[in-house]
Amino acid sequence: MNTSVRSAELLLVRYGELSLKGGNRPYFERALVRNIKAACRDLSEVKVERIWGRMAVTPERRLERVARRLQDVFGIASISTVRGTEPTLEAITKLSAEVLAAALEKFPSDGQVRVRLRSRRADKRFPLNSTQISQTVAEAILPAHGERLKVNLKQADITLELDVRRERAFVFADRLPGLGGLPVGTLGLGLCLLSGGIDSPVAAWLSMKRGCAMDFVSFHSHPFIGEGSKRKIEQLVSRLARYQAKSRLYSVPFAEIQTAIRDNAPSSYRTVLYRRAMQRIASRIAGLVRAKALITGESLGQVASQTMENMTCIEDASSLPVFRPLLTFDKNETIDIAKRIGTFDISNIPEPDCCTVFMPPKPIIHGKVEICRDAEQGFDLDGLIDAALEGAERSQIAPAW
Amino acid sequence: MGAQNDTRILYLDNAATTPIAAEVREAMLPFLDTEFGNPSTRYPLGVRAARAIDSARSSLARIVDVRSEQVTFCAGGTEANNLGVIGQARARAGRGKHILVGPTEHPCVRASALSLVREGFEVEFAKLDEGGHLDLDDYVRRMRADTVLVAQMLVNNEFGSIYPVRKLAALVRQHAPQAALHVDAVQAAGKLELDFPDLGADSIAISAHKLHGPKGAGALICDLSAPVEPILFGGGQESGRRSGTENVAGLVGFGAALELADANLTSTWKHLVQLREAFNSGLESTPNCSLIEAGTKDGILPSIATILIEGIPAEVVLHHLEARGVMVSAGSACQTQKSDISPALFALGFTAEQARSVLRFSFSGSTSLDDVNAAVAHLAHVREQLGAHLS
Repeated sequence: MNTSVRSAELLLVRYGELSLKGGNRPYFERALVRNIKAACRDLSEVKVERIWGRMAVTPERRLERVARRLQDVFGIASISTVRGTEPTLEAITKLSAEVLAAALEKFPSDGQVRVRLRSRRADKRFPLNSTQISQTVAEAILPAHGERLKVNLKQADITLELDVRRERAFVFADRLPGLGGLPVGTLGLGLCLLSGGIDSPVAAWLSMKRGCAMDFVSFHSHPFIGEGSKRKIEQLVSRLARYQAKSRLYSVPFAEIQTAIRDNAPSSYRTVLYRRAMQRIASRIAGLVRAKALITGESLGQVASQTMENMTCIEDASSLPVFRPLLTFDKNETIDIAKRIGTFDISNIPEPDCCTVFMPPKPIIHGKVEICRDAEQGFDLDGLIDAALEGAERSQIAPAW
Repeated sequence: MGAQNDTRILYLDNAATTPIAAEVREAMLPFLDTEFGNPSTRYPLGVRAARAIDSARSSLARIVDVRSEQVTFCAGGTEANNLGVIGQARARAGRGKHILVGPTEHPCVRASALSLVREGFEVEFAKLDEGGHLDLDDYVRRMRADTVLVAQMLVNNEFGSIYPVRKLAALVRQHAPQAALHVDAVQAAGKLELDFPDLGADSIAISAHKLHGPKGAGALICDLSAPVEPILFGGGQESGRRSGTENVAGLVGFGAALELADANLTSTWKHLVQLREAFNSGLESTPNCSLIEAGTKDGILPSIATILIEGIPAEVVLHHLEARGVMVSAGSACQTQKSDISPALFALGFTAEQARSVLRFSFSGSTSLDDVNAAVAHLAHVREQLGAHLS
């Protein structure tokens, strides 16, 4: 990190899309303020002010770390580390020269760098207007770099931004990318059906990106499957927990339902029926926690249970809309995100998930809803689901790094 | 120990090791008792042990701002430094065989680098300037295209000098682009904010027992892209980087100690500054004793105060203090051969005799102001007593 950042006073946070939300904008902004504070709570107290249609985040300490942490907060488009000085032309010029020099360190010393200055003047008593501020400062600081700098107002490698306010003037040039999206929680609560695979954590993350807070449900087939698969699920949730303030996991015993399906239903329908039972259980939990949608990692055609017909069979058992953010994703696209968010290596830990119990030799590919419904009449599915919910465990999962 | 039964122990050798904090001990106890499972086993007893390690790993990762998979737990600072030096040098041997070692490195870094000479590596040492600062110009002059490892400690364990590792990292990238920068942060952890991405190093080593955790637990933290060859082979624990059944209780204690240190980082620092100031002002009225201020330009760790006692061997003072219940260290200065004088003291222009008269007092968050004042009073008495003897 360069010296410019080291002596920065505050972070300027830009939020792309929520600035489009018209009358609801304060609602989104309040959520973002809450999420920013929650994300930084173990690092520093932070003061968040809404200014210039952006947010100024002032951490009590650890500014660089807070900046990095904000890169994991949905709803933030970019972050700048901002230095401050007295609101005099002399001080602003001096600081601008320093910030520019620091920004130039990132570019090779032999090539040409395109630069522009942008100024704002919140304090209209300041003797120069914003254009004049830019011009005067540019004339004072650019010549020192000779031919290396070329002013380009349309497209620049470095945009030096100056903001002159009554008590203080601010200068910045860097921009750390944020994740974009919408603040988690602004679009309600979802419930993600989490297997130990690569897809469902990515589906959860993408939904969180669009403003869903997320609870998680996983199904556990003890004693066919061991405690290690529970730990794996917890590890996945703890990774996703970095992106929201609170992460709850419901772990549901599923072996008895699987045994009943094995004993009472056509073997080719087993996987589809497992998933229907999961949708029923998840819908019940969603009702209790007021989640408004189920989120799955299904992707069209990826495995036998993910054909259009089978997805229809599965969704038929849900009382809520089922969101499938990965529906059209290729596996590689999903893997790229899984790597980025740190779930890929955990998903690759070789622990069996419950769907592998009693896997049929020939699973149905084009399932029929009626056959599913008929098959479920052959045993006490409702009673088994009640019992599973009775045995479900709820835990709050802390974020892991 | 020489302390009599009725003598209060004043433990002022916290750079050597620290007492285990009550919370740390509490966290460890179940894992020394009923929770004895092997974390690689598949039943709940083992999985609970694995979860406990997950949690310690996450604590460390959060505190230094890395991902959990960047943490390799091992059996202490020495092993972490061995893995950081040997593991990274071997992994990069295809790119070159030149290793650059800091001027005041702990033996676990120096010796592990030198052990690679028989594998064809060339090992060179950087210098301190006469003020006790890292000579960065000298460092740069020694950097080469085939340098594959630079090993530099963050805090000097003799004087507490904080070295400008961030600056060094930038120079390494520029002048030795093939090299990994390994940083021994053993003395720094728990006292200085350790921000791995900001430091710019490829790896850092830390140890639990320097921050009120147990002995036998440490960690190497690596950049995800940094290749490291294991130096221990077996069951493939720690993602294959460090085989061997994990020291579960030790790592749980490590995690608890890290959380505690992190939560108290600011207040501990302030407290240590106060202690060092009190020590220093007490020392001013003690004849022939002076604080060694070396390498202070980039900051001093306030937990370490090293003094020169003119005319009396530190070893003798140490034992007299010990009889009064004061535990301090004569450190590297107790070596008898001139060639064994610590490079830091040598760089500062100390004679062999002076180097043998250097005593290190080191504090921790659990040291009280009274402890420090009492220790200085004891030192004054001992100085007077011995002064009379010697004259």
